[in-house]
Amino acid sequence: MASKIINNIRWFLPSQDREKNSEYDEIVVSSRIRIARNLADLPFELKMKHNHCEQLLELLKNVLTGKLKGKFFGMENLSMLDKESLLECYLISPAFLKSEKPSALFITERGNVTVMINEEDHLRIQSLSHGLNFPEIASEAFEVETTIGEELIYAFDKKYGFLTSCPTNIGTGLRASVLLHLPALVFTNEVEKVLKGAVQIGMAVRGLFGEGSDTKGNLFQISNQQTLGMKEEELIDTIVKLAHMIIDIEMKARDVIMNKARYEFEDKVARSLAVLRSARIISSDEVLNLVSAVRFGVGTGFIKDVELDTLNEIILVSRPANIQIYFGEVLEEYERDVKRAEYIRKRLQAEKK
Amino acid sequence: MVCDDCKNKPATIFFKEVNPGKIVELHLCEQCAHKRGLLMAKKMSPVEILQKMLKEKSAKDEKIICTNCCLSLAEFKRIGRFGCSKCLSEFSPQINNLLKQIHQSDRHVGRNPVRGEKNGFEIFKLRAKLKKVLEKEAYEEAAKIRDLLKKYGIEDNK
Repeated sequence: MASKIINNIRWFLPSQDREKNSEYDEIVVSSRIRIARNLADLPFELKMKHNHCEQLLELLKNVLTGKLKGKFFGMENLSMLDKESLLECYLISPAFLKSEKPSALFITERGNVTVMINEEDHLRIQSLSHGLNFPEIASEAFEVETTIGEELIYAFDKKYGFLTSCPTNIGTGLRASVLLHLPALVFTNEVEKVLKGAVQIGMAVRGLFGEGSDTKGNLFQISNQQTLGMKEEELIDTIVKLAHMIIDIEMKARDVIMNKARYEFEDKVARSLAVLRSARIISSDEVLNLVSAVRFGVGTGFIKDVELDTLNEIILVSRPANIQIYFGEVLEEYERDVKRAEYIRKRLQAEKK
Repeated sequence: MVCDDCKNKPATIFFKEVNPGKIVELHLCEQCAHKRGLLMAKKMSPVEILQKMLKEKSAKDEKIICTNCCLSLAEFKRIGRFGCSKCLSEFSPQINNLLKQIHQSDRHVGRNPVRGEKNGFEIFKLRAKLKKVLEKEAYEEAAKIRDLLKKYGIEDNK
């Protein structure tokens, strides 16, 4: 079962074909692109009947399995736990998890590109990467988009571009987002100001799991809101530029902390790592906060014997559904907290050797 | 510290203006800062703009109906979702302004759909239909379908 979960988070873990961690990987946890598309000849979600859904699934099954390497599966065949795990690994959206319509998911062979079929739009093509890595995920997402577009006709209007269910996605249908780890800005109380600035220039700021979710573990998700009137490359560039600006401000806040409160910082980081290494019961929220401190320590070079990749894996595997799939059994909350502590202890011990 | 302007409320906004030869420092409360035009108006998110604009109803809305999927403009304003690929062009005169407000633009400048040799879906349907009418020996209808297929750049003589 552990292999199943590792399979879902492959995109986040080291592999032979992936680039080395960049200097920003500690601050930019991950990058994501999603493209919304609809087929011209089927009604949109609002007006879809059951037979339309079946038709959509059938069409996409043929195109995707015929043209691309990967897995296609009907969502109704998955248990709730499996679906929750896919959400925790960012492979599906919260809306897709809750959907009761016939729907299907395609995951490419590399595991970082998914196509949600019958979400709010007929298609939501999504591509993920660790760190700040838009060129790669953009080309991967558009490769899938183009492959489908060669076989099926997208709803498109000369003036308004690609048509979507909701007017807020029209045009490019493109949403680019970065997940940022900003412990120093949170510590110095500047984060709100910085994020308000991002909102002022038209970006959306959200918590860990998108719309309506809390910010935990000093993690913030920033994405574009405008989708019409700018080229895809321009929308992506804006997010990348903004990410670099925020990285700069975070780095400056870190300098301040290191100058004024070095021992307090080191104490907090060392204690956090000690708790992760020895706890016997631990909640997923506590993990997020402790991992944030250790991550900060790795970023500043204070912690040298823990890899960023290990921390990335711990954040994902520690989540409530993932930890159950990792151990291959359904666990109550208390049992999860015990098993989670066990997994983290072993994972960090393996790291030491 | 109290506000420099009203000398009453606590100052929460510190403003520094650098002019040649002198630096002006102001300590203001939020209201007074707003009066001086120093604060940007709170920017509305696209979802908020959408919700606000959709509240602006008109008696005609019920009568404006998408000829393809029968969604009325009134229904669109209630739900905020389109029903099909034709709705937007049908409602365009009424909602172009809405799109402008949401996106600061009403014109797509990005990619166009890639049109390959085979245009799957529509062509599958047309070909299936063509096969059926040919079986019925309805040659006039078959010619019409062939014309449609030609529009997609497909010559289908089977």
